[in-house]
Amino acid sequence: MSDQPDTPSRCPFTLDRRRFLQGLGAAGAGVAAGGLGRPARAADDHAVTGAPVSTTTAQAYPFHGRHQQGILTPRPAAGMVVACDVLARNRTGLERLLRTLTERIAFLTEGGTYPERDPAYPPADSGILGPTIAPDGLTVTVSLGASLFDARFGLADARPRHLQRMTGFPNDALEPARCHGDLSLQICANTHDTTLHALRDLIKNTPGLLMVRWKQEGTVPVVPPRDHGPTPSARNYLGFRDGTANPDTDDATLMDSLIWTGGDPEEPAWTRGGSYQVVRIIRNYVERWDRTPLAEQEAVFGRHKASGAPLDGAQEHDTPDYAADPEGRITPLDAHIRLANPRTPGFEKHRILRRPFNYSNGVEANGQFDMGLLFIVYQADLQAGFITVQNRLNGEPLEEYIQPVGGGYFFTLPGVVDTTDYLGRALLEATAT
Amino acid sequence: MSSRSLLIAAAAFGLMALQAPARADVEPEALVEPVADYKLYVLDNLDAFVGHARDFTRAIEAGDLERARSLYAPTRVYYERIEPVAELFADLDASIDAREDDYEKGVDDPDFTGFHRLEYGLFKRQTTDGLAPYAKRLMSDVQDLESRVQGLTFPPARVVGGAAALMEEVAATKVSGEEDRYSHTDLWDFQGNVDGSQKIFALFRPLIAEEDPAFVRRVEDNFAAVEATLAHYRLAADDPEAGFVSYEKVSDKDRRALVGPVTVLAEDLSTLRGKLGL
Repeated sequence: MSDQPDTPSRCPFTLDRRRFLQGLGAAGAGVAAGGLGRPARAADDHAVTGAPVSTTTAQAYPFHGRHQQGILTPRPAAGMVVACDVLARNRTGLERLLRTLTERIAFLTEGGTYPERDPAYPPADSGILGPTIAPDGLTVTVSLGASLFDARFGLADARPRHLQRMTGFPNDALEPARCHGDLSLQICANTHDTTLHALRDLIKNTPGLLMVRWKQEGTVPVVPPRDHGPTPSARNYLGFRDGTANPDTDDATLMDSLIWTGGDPEEPAWTRGGSYQVVRIIRNYVERWDRTPLAEQEAVFGRHKASGAPLDGAQEHDTPDYAADPEGRITPLDAHIRLANPRTPGFEKHRILRRPFNYSNGVEANGQFDMGLLFIVYQADLQAGFITVQNRLNGEPLEEYIQPVGGGYFFTLPGVVDTTDYLGRALLEATAT
Repeated sequence: MSSRSLLIAAAAFGLMALQAPARADVEPEALVEPVADYKLYVLDNLDAFVGHARDFTRAIEAGDLERARSLYAPTRVYYERIEPVAELFADLDASIDAREDDYEKGVDDPDFTGFHRLEYGLFKRQTTDGLAPYAKRLMSDVQDLESRVQGLTFPPARVVGGAAALMEEVAATKVSGEEDRYSHTDLWDFQGNVDGSQKIFALFRPLIAEEDPAFVRRVEDNFAAVEATLAHYRLAADDPEAGFVSYEKVSDKDRRALVGPVTVLAEDLSTLRGKLGL
């Protein structure tokens, strides 16, 4: 810094930073739309503590529909999965829980103003987003675990055909405190604070009905908007693009066969329009990964790290041609993407919809980071989907760098069609005595 | 003048100084009697607390490990019942009831004293060796507490708020079993907190029973649910003095069964001050 108070600072960082901010200003709304931060602005007394500005707070996804939001909905920057035990003591309590969740989620995802209360009482809301909340792209997706279909609520005969308690795969080291649950809430929004606000609202409004069992928060790195071409898939904490091979969510027929339950006559009728949700907390050993040669990293995944293209392609969305590489000279036979989806005739029915977030929790006793992937996938058939794919992956070279430590299997309830409907209504009606 | 009417007079004076919110449906004068009765309840419990603490600390000083261990939980109960008042004296609360987590150096911290320091010696190290100074300090703290409470004007908002505060205690530290981690006598403390909360609710219940019968019924049902679960774990069904089994023996299912009513009680009782215009 200059010693002369009357000469302008020559600190190169200051100049660079100013130019950088001007660049942001030129990029205009696009940057703000990405929720990256505040655009450049004139001198402001409150510039330091003023809230960061976003232009996407009004973004809202309609709550009512055949399917719940949060599955085909574009994945926003922040997400979490919260697994709960249901404390309701009977079916009446369970129905009250599902109706309350429906009512709260409808309000939270649309936004609005909380009622004012006599200040002698606790306020109706945590207030962390102010008295009026914006939807901010919020979705809340409610799913049920196999344990809810025990003797407590008379649901045993209506259990979705493939719903089961998750069992460990060979590379898993499952921690009981981070596994399973009667009910899962997947909460996603443009910002982390919006997801936390929704969670606190839901828990405050369901006392005696829900007890949180575990919670895993995650994020997705944002990218600037593009003028043309598909938006690239987001990267995981190993630096690779994730979700490239997802089935086309604009293809309604494909979604009906791969994602939404309803095609299988063996499934209980109430499950129509729902989906199987798999959640896995997958620790990544990032320090070790960062000390692994790039060529090996790419061979482990089967993709180029920078572009995300398959090893025999140039663009992320190029389709690998394994038939032309039967011995795995270009893409090793045990590369992650080749095992997960061999692109062979008949394998289409095993495809799953990946919708993961990255997580970072803290530090282990050895000084290494506890970070990794909050893996979330949806499919119409749990057995044909995740379980089949994961069994193909057992023993893959990637296992050296990852370890699943938690998660669970859940069944995502069909959507709430209108204001007379509520989450789980079809299930409760199908099991009424 | 009886001690009770003296207390009522003192409490009435305390209330006059209070800026009562105009919106209250309950006349501030109506609070005088229950607040005075609550002070009597606290003083009775303090009296018993001093007596039990004397036996407990003497057993330690006499090196009678078995007796000291058996008196640990029955002594604490009295403190747990009156915690909303005892906590008004932060210095004593720290020296009587702090846990090792409150200190960066944990059990080795020289400031770590009181019940849980003694619990560590009696149940983890299994000896009374070196505990006499802590016992002496505890006894003098307990006596100090008694004399300070006697001279205290009970703030009504604090008294009424105590019903919820005690359930917050249960929800935060009792259900998890972290309060009495060496002795596993958590259920005694649990019962003490519930007793104290229930007493406050019972004292103020007449002021809201007519206006909000559904609220009163829900609170009573949830207290009953907690009591029923606690009853499973009593050593002798008809003798409350016999106490409870180790918290390690409480099933996960029952721990969860306690969380439900405890959370609803914490939520409901958090509105008690508002209902009474405090």
